[in-house]
Amino acid sequence: MSTTRASPWILPLACALLAGLVVASIAIGDFPLSPARLWAGLTNEDALAATVIYQIRLPRVIVAVLVGAALSGGGLVMQAYFRNGLASPGLLGVSSGGSAGAVIAIAAGWATASLSVLPIAAVIGALLATGAVLVLARHGASTERLLLAGVALNALLGAVTSYVLSSYTLSYERNAQILFWLLGGLEDRTWEHVFMALPIVSAAALLWPLGRRMDLLSLGADEAQSLGVDVRRLRGWMLALTTVLTALATAVAGTVGFVGLIVPHVFRLLAGPEHRRLVPLCLVGGAAFVLACDLLARSVGGVRLGVITSLIGGPFFLWLLRRRA
Amino acid sequence: MVASPTSLNALELQRVSVAQRLRDVSLNLSHGCLAGLIGPNGSGKSTLLQAAAGLLPAEGEVRWAGRPMLKIPVMERGRMATWVPQEARFEFGFSVRSVVAQGRFAHGDDERGVDAALERFDLAGLAQRPVNQLSGGERHRVLLARAVATEAPLQLWDEPLAQLDPRHALDVVALGRELASSGKTVLLSLHDLRVAHGLDFVVVLAGGQLRAAGKPIDVLTPSLLRDVFGVQLRTGPGMILELP
Repeated sequence: MSTTRASPWILPLACALLAGLVVASIAIGDFPLSPARLWAGLTNEDALAATVIYQIRLPRVIVAVLVGAALSGGGLVMQAYFRNGLASPGLLGVSSGGSAGAVIAIAAGWATASLSVLPIAAVIGALLATGAVLVLARHGASTERLLLAGVALNALLGAVTSYVLSSYTLSYERNAQILFWLLGGLEDRTWEHVFMALPIVSAAALLWPLGRRMDLLSLGADEAQSLGVDVRRLRGWMLALTTVLTALATAVAGTVGFVGLIVPHVFRLLAGPEHRRLVPLCLVGGAAFVLACDLLARSVGGVRLGVITSLIGGPFFLWLLRRRA
Repeated sequence: MVASPTSLNALELQRVSVAQRLRDVSLNLSHGCLAGLIGPNGSGKSTLLQAAAGLLPAEGEVRWAGRPMLKIPVMERGRMATWVPQEARFEFGFSVRSVVAQGRFAHGDDERGVDAALERFDLAGLAQRPVNQLSGGERHRVLLARAVATEAPLQLWDEPLAQLDPRHALDVVALGRELASSGKTVLLSLHDLRVAHGLDFVVVLAGGQLRAAGKPIDVLTPSLLRDVFGVQLRTGPGMILELP
């Protein structure tokens, strides 16, 4: 059974793919850079190329990598938490809370004040949403209560977002801005966004040491506890890390769907379910997936990143399921 | 009611209650005892096993070798007591071997005894198979193999025989006896009264309360069986199954 015996080449291949995509994303665009010009730009010998690379493309690439890793890592953790391959990082209202926060900030006109207002509003919305889910579910131990509270809050926050959107139908500009944000995208990302998303690196690094415990938890909480896992503590860490990862990703890129669901699933099919192997694979693979989708979004023009991730992710996922069935 | 098979107490339950499921159960089991837990459906057998493993918040106290179970650090508890659930549900396709190896988590994942446990449960040939593709009985054997791999001195098994074929069921009882004779305490819930009759000790629950505990020959009387299970005991010729 190939599902349990992972090829040792999957991680190096994923890393190579990511590296290739990083180079391609820096080179390809409205202002294409030949290998020679790319080098000249990187070494600051060509001022125009250097500006394109360091001011425009590199921040975008880094944000894409961080967002992809965060969403995919967050999805992996939620799937282990809920013992369900269909769980996604937005399950507990983090994404919809982030969306509601950002949408309110745009609608109220605060977002024009500074670049960082929107991400900060999104992070606040995301944290408030998760906090509310935890308070509503109260008996922290029951995953079912948590899930139901998340579903209810997601619906509520979705309604808030829709309400704001529908009440600005006459203000074309703000409405367009809201829609633009809701569909997720990486246009005009700056170093400010990169720094804002930087805590993703440390949160992602903390996932790996939890890998073995997540293996045990994903086969049952009581079983894990009886085998020596401090389940309460582990779950606390898992929730905190997913919240940070998803909130920051939503803050800097808007709502980008499907990454957290599909990437962990794909790698579980390819490399088996062990989390110490899956954590690095999902981080690298998620980054590569979002980067590839962003590259495509740029090349096609006018298509939002969130649309592309779902457009590619959906059929690919179905194909993979059929092939493995 | 306190019942004790021998003097040296390994597992002690003192007036343990769990809301609406278990009331005031006190029980002592010694080292090296193979004990059966019987009772009608819903009598609290699973709850008692979980409380004994320290997995449920319970009133009263559970002690292992004199120490309150809940005060023992989780990792250390993982080496001392192991619990096998009644249902073997696996969402993800971990290999059989890796699930059994989880039994060594509290020992720093040293993999000791994993292969022997696989052998013991006829799982060596299935070692690389994903657990979620196994039959119900095979899954249960995986969980039991994991429990044995922990080498925990307290083994709590919830209906380990329910899903097994006759040979594997007899083998699990034989294994329980082996573990007990090496000094471990094994408490397993079961419905087969004939099997219960062959154990060192039986604990009878009904409606969340302890009805009787002691040697099978003293406990499994016609009047108790009629009271608790509503069945009539009749001895006579029957079919007896044994391991060859």
